[in-house]
Amino acid sequence: MDISTRLAPGLCLKNPILSASGTFAYGEEFARMFDLSLLGGVVTKGLSLHPKEGNPTPRVCETSCGMLNAIGLENIGVDAFIAQKLPFLGTFDTEVVVNFFGTGEDEYAHMAQKLDIEGVSAIEMNVSCPNIKKGGIEFGKDPKILNRLVAQVRQSTTKPLIVKLSPMVTHIGEMALAAQEGGADALTCSNTFPAMAIDENTWKPILGNITGGLSGPAVKPIALRIVWEVSRQAAIPVIASGGITSWRDVVQFLLAGASAVEIGSFSLRDPLCFGVIIQGLIRYMHDNSLESITEIIGKLRTP
Amino acid sequence: MKDCNALVKDNRLVAQDTCLMTLACELSPFTPGQFLMLRLTGTCDPFLRRPLAVLSYREGIVEILYKVIGRGTSLLAGKKKGEELSVLGPLGKGFSDPRPEEEAVYVAGGTGLPPILALAERMGRGSLIIGARTKDDIPLWERMQNIGGVEVTATTEDGSLGIRGMATQALNDLLKTVHKPCVIYACGPTGMLKTAASLAQVFGARCEVSIEERMACGFGVCSACAVRTTAGNQKVCTHGPVFDASCIEWGI
Repeated sequence: MDISTRLAPGLCLKNPILSASGTFAYGEEFARMFDLSLLGGVVTKGLSLHPKEGNPTPRVCETSCGMLNAIGLENIGVDAFIAQKLPFLGTFDTEVVVNFFGTGEDEYAHMAQKLDIEGVSAIEMNVSCPNIKKGGIEFGKDPKILNRLVAQVRQSTTKPLIVKLSPMVTHIGEMALAAQEGGADALTCSNTFPAMAIDENTWKPILGNITGGLSGPAVKPIALRIVWEVSRQAAIPVIASGGITSWRDVVQFLLAGASAVEIGSFSLRDPLCFGVIIQGLIRYMHDNSLESITEIIGKLRTP
Repeated sequence: MKDCNALVKDNRLVAQDTCLMTLACELSPFTPGQFLMLRLTGTCDPFLRRPLAVLSYREGIVEILYKVIGRGTSLLAGKKKGEELSVLGPLGKGFSDPRPEEEAVYVAGGTGLPPILALAERMGRGSLIIGARTKDDIPLWERMQNIGGVEVTATTEDGSLGIRGMATQALNDLLKTVHKPCVIYACGPTGMLKTAASLAQVFGARCEVSIEERMACGFGVCSACAVRTTAGNQKVCTHGPVFDASCIEWGI
C-alpha cells in the first residue's frame, strides 16, 4: 500500500499527515511524546525576521466544538530558529516545512532567502493570520497583491513554496489562482476564521486582542467546502487544514481534493492523535482494497 | 508526563461550588504546584482540556480539588464513580522545597488552594493562610487543621470564619512575628500574588507564586499562557506555573 503523497517537485511526503503551524511550536515538546518520524511532515510555528512577543492575554478561549486564539505569532525569529531549532528537526525522518511571514514584500523575500538552506524541505507563506496588525491577512485579501508577493518570494527561493490562504475572501478560487500564477507549488486551505467571544458579566471581550481566529471541529464543514472549491480551480496540490480530528475527516478532505492534511487544534488536546489517525487511514485503505491514496484524492462522487 | 485514562472513584461537593474528585490512574510522582490536563472521553465538546492542580497522588489515586465555574467544570462535576476521564500530566514546574533554615508560609486565596494545600501537606511544617469570601467558600477546613506541624489561619471577607479581612493582611501580620529566613508560597488572584510578592520584598523573604492563565495545550506548544517576566515572555504551562515572584512583571 502506498500512502505517500506528492506536493511539489522534490517534496513527497511518506504519508499525508502534517502538523499545523502554531500548534506544534518547533517540535521539541511533541518529540518528547512520540517519534516525529511517523509524520509526513512537520510545519513549524510562523517565523518573523525578528523575535515577536505576541498579543496580550487572554490569548485563547473555548467555543462550541472549537477554540479561538489570538496568540499574535509570538516566535523566536528566523535566525534563532535556524541556529537553535532546525538542527533538532533534522534528526527526524520527516519533511520540515517552515512557516513564515513578513511585514512587507521585501521582508517576505528576505525571509525566503534566509530559509533557502539545507534542512528546510519547503516553506509555507502565511498571508492569512487574523491576529496581527502587519504581515498577516492584508496580503491575502487582494489577488493582485498576493500574486505580486508570491512571485517575489518565488524568485528568492529554490524550495517548494506553499501559500497558506485566508478563508475570509469572497472568491477563494481567485486567490488560489493568483498564488498559483505567482509560482506557488501548493496551497494550504486555510487559516483560522476571524471570530470573537464576549463575557456577558463583565461586558468585555474575552480575548486580549478582542478578536481571534476560530479553529477546531466547528470549522470543518467550511474548510471542507473551501478545499473542494480550491482544488477544482487550482492545478497545484492543496493541503487541507480545519478541524480534523480523525481518519474519517482525513478521507473526507482527500475526497474533496486535498493531497495532504494539517492537524492543528486537535493535537493541542490529543498530542498523540497523529499516530492514531495514520493507523486509521491505513486500516480504511486496507478494508477498502485501496492501493494508493491517489485513488481517493479528488474522487468525490458528485451528482 | 503521559496521556492516560483515569477512572472516577469519587466526586463530591466539599464547599460552595467546589468539588473533590478522586481518580484511579498511574502517574509519575508529582511536585506540588504541578497540574493535570483533564478532558471528557468520547466527545469533542468541550474541545479543550481543563488545567487543574494535583492535590495529592498516592498509590495510583490522584485527588483533584476544583471550583465549578463554567461548562467544562460543570461537566466534570457531573462525572460519577466508574466513569472515565482522560488525564495528561503531571505537567509544569512545581514549588521548590523550603530550605532547612527557612520558615514556610503558605498563602491561598479563592481557587488557589489546591497546589498550596498539596505543598503544606507534603512539607508538614510552617503556617498556612487561607483566604476566602465566606466560610462556605472554604473546602476541606477540617483536613487543613489536621495537617501535622502546620499552623492554619483562615481569613474571610465577611468574618464568618477566622479573621475578618484579606489573606494578605494576615500574611503581613504573620511576617512581623517571624524572626528567621522565610519563604512564602502563594496561589490565588493576581492582586493577592502581587501583594504577597511586595510583602516578601519588604520582609526580605523568598517568594514563589503559582500563576493562573488560560491555556489550550498545557505542554508548551501553543503559547497561549504567556506571562511577562524579567526574562521576557514565559509560558505558564512549562516554565511555570510556579515562578519566583521577583521575576514576574506584574501588570495593573
